[in-house]
Amino acid sequence: MADKQNPETGGQATVTLTIDGLTVTVPRGYTVLEAARSIGINIPTFCWHPKLKPVGACRICYVEIEKFPKLQVSCATVAMDGMVVHTNTDQVKNGRRAVLEFILLNHPLDCPTCDKGGECDLQNLTFAHGLDDSRFAFQKYRFVDDDMTTTFDDKRIGPEIILNRNRCILCYKCVRANKEAFGEYDLGAYERGNITEINAAPGRQVANPFSGNLVEICPVGALTNTDWRYKIRVWLTKTTPSICNFSSSGTNILFYKEDHKNKIYRVTSRRNDDIDDGWLADITRYSYQVITSDERLIKPLIKKEGKQVPATWEEALEVIKKRLNEIKDKKGGVCIGGLASPSLDNASLYSFAKFLRRTFNSNKLDYRQDYRMLPKDTANNYSILASQPFKIAGIDDSDVIVTFATDLLREHQNEYLRVRKAFNFKKARIFVANPYAVKTADVAELEMVYKVGTDEIFINAVCLAALEENLVACPDRADLKKKIKPSSLKDAAEQCGVAPETIKIMARALAEGKKVTFIAGELLTRCRDREIIASALCNLNRLFGLNRKGQIAVLARYANSMGAVKLGISPEPVPALKKELEKIWSGLPDTEAYNTDTMLVHMKKEEINGFIIMGANPVMLYPDREFVKESLEKLDFLVVCDLYETETTALADVVLPLAGWAEYAGDYINLEGCRQHAEQALKPRFEAYPGYEILEMIADKFEKKLFSSTEERESEIDRLLKVDTTLPWPDGFVEVKTAEIEIEKDYPLALFLCDDPHHCGHLTEKANSLVNFCGEAYIEMAEEQARAYNLNEGDSVRLESPIGKIIVPLKISEHLDNQVVLVPRNFTSHPVTSLLMRKRRIDWVRISKVAE
Amino acid sequence: MILNDEAIAKIKERVGLYPQSKSAILPALTIAYHQVGYLNDKVYKDIADIIKVPCVEIAEAATFYTMFPKEPVGKYLIQVCHNISCALLGADSLISYLEQKLEIKKGETTRDNLFTLVTVECLGSCATAPMMQINQDYYENLTREKVDKIIEELRAKA
Amino acid sequence: MKDILKAIGRAVFKTPLGFLVTLKYIFKKPVTLDYPRKKKPMAPRYRGKHYLERYDDGTERCVCCGLCAAACPADAIYMEPEENENGERRAKIYEINLLRCIFCGFCEEACPEEAIFLGQEYEFSNYDRNSFIYTKDEMLVPHPRKDNPFKRIIRRVRRVYGVEDTK
Repeated sequence: MADKQNPETGGQATVTLTIDGLTVTVPRGYTVLEAARSIGINIPTFCWHPKLKPVGACRICYVEIEKFPKLQVSCATVAMDGMVVHTNTDQVKNGRRAVLEFILLNHPLDCPTCDKGGECDLQNLTFAHGLDDSRFAFQKYRFVDDDMTTTFDDKRIGPEIILNRNRCILCYKCVRANKEAFGEYDLGAYERGNITEINAAPGRQVANPFSGNLVEICPVGALTNTDWRYKIRVWLTKTTPSICNFSSSGTNILFYKEDHKNKIYRVTSRRNDDIDDGWLADITRYSYQVITSDERLIKPLIKKEGKQVPATWEEALEVIKKRLNEIKDKKGGVCIGGLASPSLDNASLYSFAKFLRRTFNSNKLDYRQDYRMLPKDTANNYSILASQPFKIAGIDDSDVIVTFATDLLREHQNEYLRVRKAFNFKKARIFVANPYAVKTADVAELEMVYKVGTDEIFINAVCLAALEENLVACPDRADLKKKIKPSSLKDAAEQCGVAPETIKIMARALAEGKKVTFIAGELLTRCRDREIIASALCNLNRLFGLNRKGQIAVLARYANSMGAVKLGISPEPVPALKKELEKIWSGLPDTEAYNTDTMLVHMKKEEINGFIIMGANPVMLYPDREFVKESLEKLDFLVVCDLYETETTALADVVLPLAGWAEYAGDYINLEGCRQHAEQALKPRFEAYPGYEILEMIADKFEKKLFSSTEERESEIDRLLKVDTTLPWPDGFVEVKTAEIEIEKDYPLALFLCDDPHHCGHLTEKANSLVNFCGEAYIEMAEEQARAYNLNEGDSVRLESPIGKIIVPLKISEHLDNQVVLVPRNFTSHPVTSLLMRKRRIDWVRISKVAE
Repeated sequence: MILNDEAIAKIKERVGLYPQSKSAILPALTIAYHQVGYLNDKVYKDIADIIKVPCVEIAEAATFYTMFPKEPVGKYLIQVCHNISCALLGADSLISYLEQKLEIKKGETTRDNLFTLVTVECLGSCATAPMMQINQDYYENLTREKVDKIIEELRAKA
Repeated sequence: MKDILKAIGRAVFKTPLGFLVTLKYIFKKPVTLDYPRKKKPMAPRYRGKHYLERYDDGTERCVCCGLCAAACPADAIYMEPEENENGERRAKIYEINLLRCIFCGFCEEACPEEAIFLGQEYEFSNYDRNSFIYTKDEMLVPHPRKDNPFKRIIRRVRRVYGVEDTK
């Protein structure tokens, strides 16, 4: 409702009206329905959704407004000064009853077989307002199709959606949400009159990354999803509030679980307007299956004579103690390092850091597993940029939004929806700059696809445009020209392949914008030269004063990336944090600090001998598969904790089963630094333990208890989280170096690693529903490119880089239009990271058709 | 592409007339209907490609209007009004007469692909009921003899 | 001596008199039943062991909607639905624990599909407690059914859309 504040209608900002004898003052622009709900008067609705524009299709929200001759639909009537509204008169009741009778004319009485039974709006409202019988004595209209799957007229319209058109009451919520909020056009309403039907777009399936929401908002059982279909009745389940583990925004969710079976049945949203608006990405909705899958690790595994055999926890812990002690005695504790997944909760991450730093006096620990050539410490522009405060809700009221080097739909689906919302409701001007075309551009005023590897030149070009057009009043702007190359907009624009006019338009928008949101993403974080690009962004920020009139940030990618930073899981924590850690632990180890990258290098040199990996899968995700594999194989002793057997656990000497996030209570810090609590929904399955308990057990073996009690751990975490980790912006403009970009002869295409919109990281492959959406890697490329290589959709393509090759099926992209190919990294069967070289900025590849 | 160059050029010309290309959907559908004779998913896709509007929007608009046939029809599409004024003046018997004469049922096409018989709601010519529309032309104040004559003429023309 | 004679007299004359009652009942219809061999017909509304009905074509009426379990005051019913080969909903597991059941008949009342009835069967003693959990297979009436003794409700055809049974 906050979306509608401060409209530019002029006059008073509020209106006062009377509803059922109560006087209420609401902001101008509120509808009668919203005004009534704000004082707790409930008006039933079917077609109204708080995050969609009103449509007035179902007419169940009838109210009587004095001086109006007829009943009015409250969801589409704007509240006016002096209105007198009645929501409970006989006329209203009769109206509602008539509407319900009308809706029920063609609605089948199949509640016993309907999955919505028990939580159905129509059922509830009929019970509350409706008649117990119908005067309609004719045959109900029945939709019949040739490709109907069942005798109950169900029809599968997507990998996870089943449609029953007979039950549909035509509220159009699904179609509206799909088009308005998600910008997807794979569902429509066809025909008219009583044969109006909702159906998938011609020749398409409803498979967009938000399709689960359509099921959730359906007020009846017309859209149901397969994961919940015929499994359990809703009244037999209990709900547990939790947080999504696969999105960095920490979307709020509810687990529907059954205690006796220790099983989760589904996930729905728990609307939080500050974070998720009540929309869930499919990855959030279906990723619970990662936990409920039966392929989970059941017992600890110990490597004996080259083979991993099941063992008890006690045996496994003994082996860990013995082998780590050997390494510690022989080479010192500093030869032991660790890598934790940024999706673990605060307690696990903090225990991890404390265990390595206190027990082994080692500073060799990190949480980043998929970035190449990381910076050593935090004294750099990239860390400054990444530490900046960011508010998800701040996107809503921005009038200029720039997304730079990020494919929001694949990385930050929640923020993607926010950007769309800002466009829909606030008419925000959106600019998309990326080395390849992305879906966000649908709503963009300008889409700028710059040449691969010219990210910093593009940003410089924007700065230069502002200088040349004299758009900004930054006092030391003359200084900037000396620090960046090239020195004129024309050259810069030519180098990055974007027309100078478009850059000027964007620069003007940045200068004129009242509230600007600048989002940078994974393409920046993953880039080898992230420091150079970050420097350019620091200049941009200073020139336009972005952080003062809005927000500029590199978005964190994983559920608790921010927590890892704030709890000091990095080798070299932020100075303020370091001070606090010293206070808490009375002293920090002063041994050499290595990040993931340097740790792997030193492993290869056999300078690190023992290694603990918790929840991470670097073999699959680190952008140089062979290098990681060789490094990890050189280790004397490797412990891996994970939910499943992965490529990394295959190399381990001891594998410990880790509990998934629904199996323990934990706190997570989302990308805006908001701490959220996820409650325990299940008892850990099989013999799994949460990360912090595993570490506590290992620490016990070393006779160095990590914490005397849970309270102690929590209070230490509390103290750390109070530390402000925001780093100050640099004084003045910074020098932007020129990056060296290698060009490979004969390898003409640039490969970008991405996440599929339905996958994230290495675990989601185990969730059946997500696999139904996308179960196999693909190479996504522009249609023209494909035609140039004489390839068709679905053809097998050999993808080669100087160091490796894989064979993947082709997918022709709807957006891409230049010489860029995308390959998702989430699939074990196609190890795309084996094509990458860690020291490269751009991964050049070539493709050829595989002969049948 | 099902649409020929002439239709494409016409549609493109129409797109320029409106501030939003979405507004060009109905003119585009009409142009496509005149060229192809009916509309289906392939036509929607073609139009979507030309006017750069999602295919689903076009399908929605096209299915809403019953005046666009969605499957191949005969050369002459006979639309008989069966709304109140025509019905009172004998539209029902006219329809059954046509069925008899053309040896088809309502909604079917004759074997020689010449005639398709459908019934429609009011065509706004109540004063001259009963009436029917064949392709773009109205035939009014119908009687059995008149219908015979019209059908003969059309047969002869074809 | 006199007493002895009196006693003898009583024995000789009174005892046969007592047997007269017995004799009288020999010629009367017995009130008891030759139980294991013969069974007492129960009242038409007797609530005995549950049975699950079928449609005339043999498909199960029960769609596993869960209303009987929700209505059950003793929490005796457990069920799990599944999808059959036609995509219809039916029970994968349907169990009634007769030790918990209080034979109130609420399940019968709640059933929207007229699938569950409490029958006339009252013999279900057993040697172990687990055998009192009756499964779907044990409760479904055989198809084709041999007799039709318990049909008390005019069985309606499958009515989902107001049309007659499609099968």
